[in-house]
Amino acid sequence: MSERVLLIDDEKDFLEVMSERMRNRDIDVTTATSAKEALGLVEKESYDAIILDLQMPEMDGLQALERLKAINPDLQVILLTGHATIEKGVQAMKLGATDVLEKPADIQTLTEKIRKAHARKIILVEKENEEKIRAILGSKAW
Amino acid sequence: MSADQDTTSDLGIGFFGNMTASISHEIKNALAIVNENAGLLGDLALLMDKGRPLSAERLTTIAGNIRRQVQRADDIIRRLNRFAHSAHEPATRIDLREVLAFTVALAERLATMKGITLVLAAGEPVSLVIRPFVLENLLWLCLQRLFVAAGSGGTVELATEAKDGCALVRLRCGSGTQVGPVAAEAARLGQSLLAELQTEIDTDADQGELLLRLPAPACS
Repeated sequence: MSERVLLIDDEKDFLEVMSERMRNRDIDVTTATSAKEALGLVEKESYDAIILDLQMPEMDGLQALERLKAINPDLQVILLTGHATIEKGVQAMKLGATDVLEKPADIQTLTEKIRKAHARKIILVEKENEEKIRAILGSKAW
Repeated sequence: MSADQDTTSDLGIGFFGNMTASISHEIKNALAIVNENAGLLGDLALLMDKGRPLSAERLTTIAGNIRRQVQRADDIIRRLNRFAHSAHEPATRIDLREVLAFTVALAERLATMKGITLVLAAGEPVSLVIRPFVLENLLWLCLQRLFVAAGSGGTVELATEAKDGCALVRLRCGSGTQVGPVAAEAARLGQSLLAELQTEIDTDADQGELLLRLPAPACS
């Protein structure tokens, strides 16, 4: 099953080439050029991983991360940044980022992180389903 | 100047840090695109090995993308080089409008990040003798505060004018922008810069303008 990824970056040239490379690796990619556009997509669609640029106009990556996590705390968000300071990295992880990668990123490393994020999402979904089943079973007088 | 006020050197280091951090990010963005295009060529070569056809047009497009990003990075590095040299440049005869244009180029990305559009108004050259780095620093100090005052979606227009033997810089946000507090803060924080440039800050509240008045001795 191919991974569904939302790639967010304000650099259109970057989005075009990166999404083509991901598609070459059987990844199902959707792109967004702003955090605002991405938030709209996340409210409607489900993604296995979100690749988010840290520095974007109007709403930066950390603000976007917070908003994305507020919509769905289980979202697997990988931050891609030109400014990989330790401070920003720690801040991102505290806000719930799955990983932080520095630009230019190695596609192999990024693909592995996407696959891991996908696996983590499956575990979370299974756990959630299990809890739902338990709750249903617990609420019924059999 | 009181002991807790920043000197031109203190302010200069902060300004230099802001600008070089932004420039390095821009370079990284260009490099990331070059990197992915190089990677794409590798991907296409592998696919071609597996029998997928590859057109010359496709290769030409990718080569064009790489060339464009190399040109972009080269422009950014030229700007960085000019900026770095301006830091130790002594007072020299400059065209004020040209310094404004350079400051716009330096600050554009940071303005975009705040949702602000920077516009350089058309105008005649205004010649004066000044340390360009100190003026760029003062302009940046004012712009940072104007970005907040104008808010996301706003525009800041930069214009120059020779008036009554003085050089005037107009930083216009438009009516409705509270420029009074901006001028007060810029005057407080940039006291050493204003002193070195012998410049006064004023406002035109109706136009939402911050005015920098560079006095007669600095004018041609």
